[in-house]
Amino acid sequence: MAFNTGGVRRRDILKTLAAAGALTTMPGLGQLAFAAPGGAQEANGKILVVLFFRGGMDVLNFIGPANDAVYIDARPADLRLLDSGDKAGIALDSGLAQGVDFRLHPEAAALHEIYRQGDLAIVHATGLSNATRSHFEAQELMERGLAEEPKGNGVLGTEGGWVARLLRQMGSNGELVAVSTAGGVPKLLQGYPEALSIPDLRGGFGLPGGPSTQAVLERLYPAGGQPAGFNPNVARGGRVALDAALRLNGALPKGPDGKVLAYQPEHGGAFEGDVGRSLETVARLIRMDAGLKVACVDMGGWDTHEGQAGRFKSLVHQLSGSLATFWNDLSAYHDRITLVTVSEFGRRLRANRSGGTDHGHGSLMMVLGGGVAGGRLLGRWPGLQPQDLDERVDLAVTTDYREVLTSVLKHRMGVGQVDGVFPGFHPGSGDPALFRA
Amino acid sequence: MVVPTPVAAAGAAPSQEWIFLNRFAYGPRPGDAQALKQQGIPHWLDEQLRLAAAGTSPGPECQQKLDSAVMRIKYDAGEGWAALDEMRPLRTLDQPVDALWSLNQPDRKLPYQERVRPRLDLAAATVIRAVYDPAQLRQVMTMFWHDHFSVNAADSYTAPALPAYDAALRAHALGNFRDLLEAVATSPAMLIYLNNRSSRGGAANENYARELFELHTLGRDAYLNTQYDRWRDVPGALKGAPEGYIDQDVYEASRAFTGWSIQSGQDLGGYKAPNDGRFTYIESWHDNYQKRVLAAEFDSYQPPQNDGHKVLDLVANHPATAQFICTKMVRSLLGGEPSPELVRAAAATWLDSRQRPDQIARVVRLIALSPQATANWGARPKRPLELVASFARATGIPVTASEPLVGTMDSAGQKLYAWPSPDGHPVADDYWLGAQNMRARWNLALGLAEGWWMPPGLSATAQMGPAAAHSGQAVAFWSDRLLGSPTAVDTAALLGGLSLTADAPPMVDNKTGEFANRRLAAYVAMSPAFQLR
Repeated sequence: MAFNTGGVRRRDILKTLAAAGALTTMPGLGQLAFAAPGGAQEANGKILVVLFFRGGMDVLNFIGPANDAVYIDARPADLRLLDSGDKAGIALDSGLAQGVDFRLHPEAAALHEIYRQGDLAIVHATGLSNATRSHFEAQELMERGLAEEPKGNGVLGTEGGWVARLLRQMGSNGELVAVSTAGGVPKLLQGYPEALSIPDLRGGFGLPGGPSTQAVLERLYPAGGQPAGFNPNVARGGRVALDAALRLNGALPKGPDGKVLAYQPEHGGAFEGDVGRSLETVARLIRMDAGLKVACVDMGGWDTHEGQAGRFKSLVHQLSGSLATFWNDLSAYHDRITLVTVSEFGRRLRANRSGGTDHGHGSLMMVLGGGVAGGRLLGRWPGLQPQDLDERVDLAVTTDYREVLTSVLKHRMGVGQVDGVFPGFHPGSGDPALFRA
Repeated sequence: MVVPTPVAAAGAAPSQEWIFLNRFAYGPRPGDAQALKQQGIPHWLDEQLRLAAAGTSPGPECQQKLDSAVMRIKYDAGEGWAALDEMRPLRTLDQPVDALWSLNQPDRKLPYQERVRPRLDLAAATVIRAVYDPAQLRQVMTMFWHDHFSVNAADSYTAPALPAYDAALRAHALGNFRDLLEAVATSPAMLIYLNNRSSRGGAANENYARELFELHTLGRDAYLNTQYDRWRDVPGALKGAPEGYIDQDVYEASRAFTGWSIQSGQDLGGYKAPNDGRFTYIESWHDNYQKRVLAAEFDSYQPPQNDGHKVLDLVANHPATAQFICTKMVRSLLGGEPSPELVRAAAATWLDSRQRPDQIARVVRLIALSPQATANWGARPKRPLELVASFARATGIPVTASEPLVGTMDSAGQKLYAWPSPDGHPVADDYWLGAQNMRARWNLALGLAEGWWMPPGLSATAQMGPAAAHSGQAVAFWSDRLLGSPTAVDTAALLGGLSLTADAPPMVDNKTGEFANRRLAAYVAMSPAFQLR
């Protein structure tokens, strides 16, 4: 939506739009609506992977309208997709907007293969209705499943992360149900105390000091242990770590030297960079059949204010190769896995003079999974004419990020109602048609 | 953020002095708490502030440790360099940027390990300083500012600028905030990390300006972009005192800083800048036209750097900045949810002392002398550096530079000078106490005691006296040393886990003597209570 705000406060406009459902009933999506009622599938065994691109991915450098004159004018050639030459983007057969030649970054060839096979769908111009250009505010809102910070203290049901609420609603509990591959537990999982952080399993997940140490730790951190001083968290954190170490480490295949064997993905490929290491961890956990329901994976490095072209190219290369490796490796699990990507915002349409882009607004989301009606660009393309831009400078948001997530939860995770997961959010009638009937 | 709820203490709470020294220093050495009780906290503060004001040298013992420390550097042969494996002193400490600048030159053939050595040198030195620097309060505050003005020096282009950045933060750690802000704004480390070095008129780079408002000064609560999209609509703006900032302020401030750069061999139209990384102001890159930031008008064509200085004045003096930083400081020093009264008092002192050279010291002093300074024991977990330093200080484990120790603190969650985003490490307990981080904490305790990284490690029996021969007394000894009371640890858990009776000599894994006594010390350090401060 373009804000023409002559003196009217943005907050009021947002209220009006929300009331009118303008943010949630997306034109162009309704006609593709997922029609089958009660499409919810058996939740048992379903696995959701949330891949968060931290720093604000420049989606216009990932999938852009190569033949749009405004786009061409706003960016140097190395920060946009080209429709010809040896660095041309990969043409996407999409139909998202009449006459617009959407191209995918040339480093994403492996990802394009999955798109072409139909397991990957992409919704463009997604994001927060909130106007924030702050990483930390936008990330927090997205992790908590909100559009704006609730006013007043402790607004019921908005604490913690939406993934934690989802798990509670699903009645999930127990070890190894929810894992973060970041060093700590992200906000997405706050409010789910059993969540584990497991960045890497290549070095095992054991405890130091042999059986004596284990015996002492089990008593120092008993199940249901007393808080120490004014802090209830350390006793619990220690117990969770202990349980995870005891369960996981034994299950990891080890060589004669006691070291964890290198993970060999089926069907080849390579897990590249930090995101590759994280996805390898998730793949291992899935293959262990230890009850994993949700994995939260972070991929950083997207805050490209300077020297974007080279950095972006290398990030896309890692992402594409690692995602394809992950997907091909887990072919036996396709009907159980759904992977969805988010980023806190997109970046400014116009490049800065540092060869980079500043914080923007509209983003995109990818949905990868069995049952995805993929090979298509979905959503509503808002256009890049000045009057189409958010705050006159950025790609507008035409699909609330929760619309896509709702569709995933309903069709893949067997969730009937999302009110408890996304408090205050009313999904539009137009379902983004992400899944096959 | 999940707020810890005050609950009844399980073990004996340590003394006020014990708690104080875990918050305003890196934990007590044997005898420190008793000494503090005798001299009193005001006297201790006077002494600490005197040390800090006397210069940034860490004192002879600590300086000697820094000078004699060596740390391994090892890499395979590569294109343009030979394989190397050597123990090397921490040569990059305190070096000015120009002395290290060649490390990041792309035309120089160098392995990554050489390029980012300044970050490892400083991280290793940080552990030594936390253990041995007598100016403990300054070290605590230096680390606070490193997180507040976080840069990621695991990036090889930023790394050579890190030692000088550390020196600047250390010099101003208890000084005046506006001076500190100026030092950061002109530091090559921040200019590189948040990209202002390449910001030019026409389409300025907004990275630094945005984080200046959100992370360095006014704070996220003062970002009012969702409510207002024109500067004049922000409450107070028409009276010249806007309550907060919006994107328009970010845009305009980024214009004000255009041309604040580093000398990196730029071609400036017939003139080539030197290539030594030092701060420079490039007039031809500056956007000279009029601006408006926080409702203040800037005339066109100001003298060099005037626009940027004016922005720094505006944000440093803004009441939201006092509120934001004082809240953060109280939370960081004391843990838990900050007391609103204490934050209010701290913010008032902050604003009253804006013109004083010891502005920050006055605020810290107020916090340290408040009743909350030693209340709510355990309100936040120790960070890995605090865990390591307090363990070493309480037990006399000799500490020197160690790359794997830095690596283990990394996996325990504290990525010294390498946090990947400009907000610094998280505050929430959930982050610090996740499964990965807890495992790494236990590794830190055991590894330090057993000398995995820094042999010989703990010398246990020699300091225990008769307690070394009786399991119960041995546990009480380490509980007293590490937790401030002989009964603070769950003795039954330790003895029960090891199937020991109180009178029997300590035995672990069928080994007795030094091995077993070290283990008991490590196990007390692995207990829940020792994770807290």
